[in-house]
Amino acid sequence: MKRHAVIIDTDPGVDDAAAILTALASPEIDLLGLTVVAGNVALPDATANACRIVGLSGRQDVPIYPGAPGPLVRDQIFGKYARIGAFPEVLVPPGGRAPSVEHAVDFIVRQTMAAAADDAPLTICAIGPLTNIALALVRHPSVARGIGRIVSMGATFAAPGHRPPWAEFNVHADPHAAAIVYRSGIPLVLMPLDVTTQALFTGEHLDALAKRGGEAGTALYRLLTAFDRSDPTRYGRPGGPIHDAMTIAWLVRPDLFETREAVVDVHAAGSASGLTRADFLATGDRAPNALVATAIDEAGYIAFLTERIASFGNAVAQRSDET
Amino acid sequence: MTSIPIIVDCDPGIDDTIALLTAFVSPEFDILGITTVCGNQPLERTVRNALQVCELGGREDVPVYAGCFRPMLREPIHGQFHGKNGLGNTDLPEPRKVAEGLSAVEFLVVTLSQAAERKQRITLCCLGPMTNLAVALCMKPQIAEGVERIVMMGGAYREPGNRTMTAEFNVLTDPHAASIVISSEIPIVALALDATHQVILKPEHVTQFASVSGRISQTLAELMAFWDRNDVGRYGSRGGPLHDPLVIIYLLAPHLFETQTARIFVEHESELCMGQTVADWYGKSGLAPNAEIVTKVDAQGVIALLLERLSRYADRAAA
Repeated sequence: MKRHAVIIDTDPGVDDAAAILTALASPEIDLLGLTVVAGNVALPDATANACRIVGLSGRQDVPIYPGAPGPLVRDQIFGKYARIGAFPEVLVPPGGRAPSVEHAVDFIVRQTMAAAADDAPLTICAIGPLTNIALALVRHPSVARGIGRIVSMGATFAAPGHRPPWAEFNVHADPHAAAIVYRSGIPLVLMPLDVTTQALFTGEHLDALAKRGGEAGTALYRLLTAFDRSDPTRYGRPGGPIHDAMTIAWLVRPDLFETREAVVDVHAAGSASGLTRADFLATGDRAPNALVATAIDEAGYIAFLTERIASFGNAVAQRSDET
Repeated sequence: MTSIPIIVDCDPGIDDTIALLTAFVSPEFDILGITTVCGNQPLERTVRNALQVCELGGREDVPVYAGCFRPMLREPIHGQFHGKNGLGNTDLPEPRKVAEGLSAVEFLVVTLSQAAERKQRITLCCLGPMTNLAVALCMKPQIAEGVERIVMMGGAYREPGNRTMTAEFNVLTDPHAASIVISSEIPIVALALDATHQVILKPEHVTQFASVSGRISQTLAELMAFWDRNDVGRYGSRGGPLHDPLVIIYLLAPHLFETQTARIFVEHESELCMGQTVADWYGKSGLAPNAEIVTKVDAQGVIALLLERLSRYADRAAA
């Protein structure tokens, strides 16, 4: 089995929790660490949430690094569900994990420089604003050489944005960071809203997470139901998306996706700040810098996520069998 | 005498070199480190030049940290008046000294965090694009508490720009970094082109400096001679503006400078005015002032002090 060396850069966040737990449940992923960034919620809350999520998995070997507390240049904004703050204990029990002392940006620089030296570039799954990664890229040229690809949940092309209508949250929250990352020359795999909103989880799907996923599945179920993501006006049918976990799904099950190469860029500043553009026909003189996911096998994605989360329940069942 | 703890963030550079050589022989300063950045020259070169200048000045004890290799968003640009290696036509020996293992950004974060905890604030002398400090501030904004103030060479307020119509080189090179630093609420003393164009190092000065500066005289004369812009129309005489050394001279002799208080801003969106610095002289922004902008310089006093300082190399035995 091919294992991907992965850093998840995250701002948990409910769907971040789903992504992190899916990664932790996937033997295909060698998770080097979580780097935390301000985004959906403020940095201290995001860091506490990351610790709780890893705690749920029982894993002691995945370090958590707090990173940038705000965007590079623009004023700070928080996610639609910012009121979550730190996950309430009734939803996610404290897991006894503490964050590392090292800064997330220092960790990314250190890991990627080592990866560049070993000629074994790693993967970053970026599921929050891109601030940490952008800062690391400015620090040393080997950082870019040590990153094989960035699988990013972010951007939107044809689908309406979150707020404002032309921009997806992770890009909008730090468009300058997005510009640095998009123009870095590192191959990008983008999960824009166009694809993440194609797979909707209904109550029935969430029930299965709770039923089969042990403590982790139950916590995820509680989060996804407490902060209901369904929006029939927007999606035209019941159910809500789990955006961030698609990055992990793509690494493990690329067969679930349709993708197209494109030249992708972002408006960092001005009245269209956060607007992302994809030139699928490569009409200019730039070579494509991104593989953009355009379609997902909805049933396959839901089944994949459910099975992976269920492994937390299986582990418990196995442990109780053994005793 | 208690010395002022300083960190010099720079991109040597001829005028950076004169600034460093001046600071090296000024016991008023405790130089905690030199951090280098991509600016006048690419990073490898500014690091190497800083190491060479430390050896030239007999200050191998000052640690040099390599910083960011490019501006945050914009493509790198380099200085036009520093020669192909950044130090004019000088031919300094290969440095024996090496840069520290810690990066400039890590050094700034660690040192300024400690300074904040101990309430022993550090003065930052910013002589180049401010990428290093901006990245450090984005990583950990609390380090601002460890900064006494920033004395920066950069910007152009009432004076036109030097690299473009409206922008001064250091700010133009990384306007986003400049904006981040200027928005940090750290008190700033701004030595912009408004000030530095008042102090022209003329060919007759070069002879004077060379005659007093002992063992560095040959290198200093070469650097200073190379600095001649030969643009009487622009500067009113032969010679070149003494940008970066003014930061050091300001800290040594603030009485030679007149300042005006203002809130300052950096344009980083418009291509036409990219890197332009804007001063709110009359309180139009509704924001509290964050800078002392130097408006008038006693040029003779500056040259005299510089001459006195660099003459100290005559008394120092060759390393």
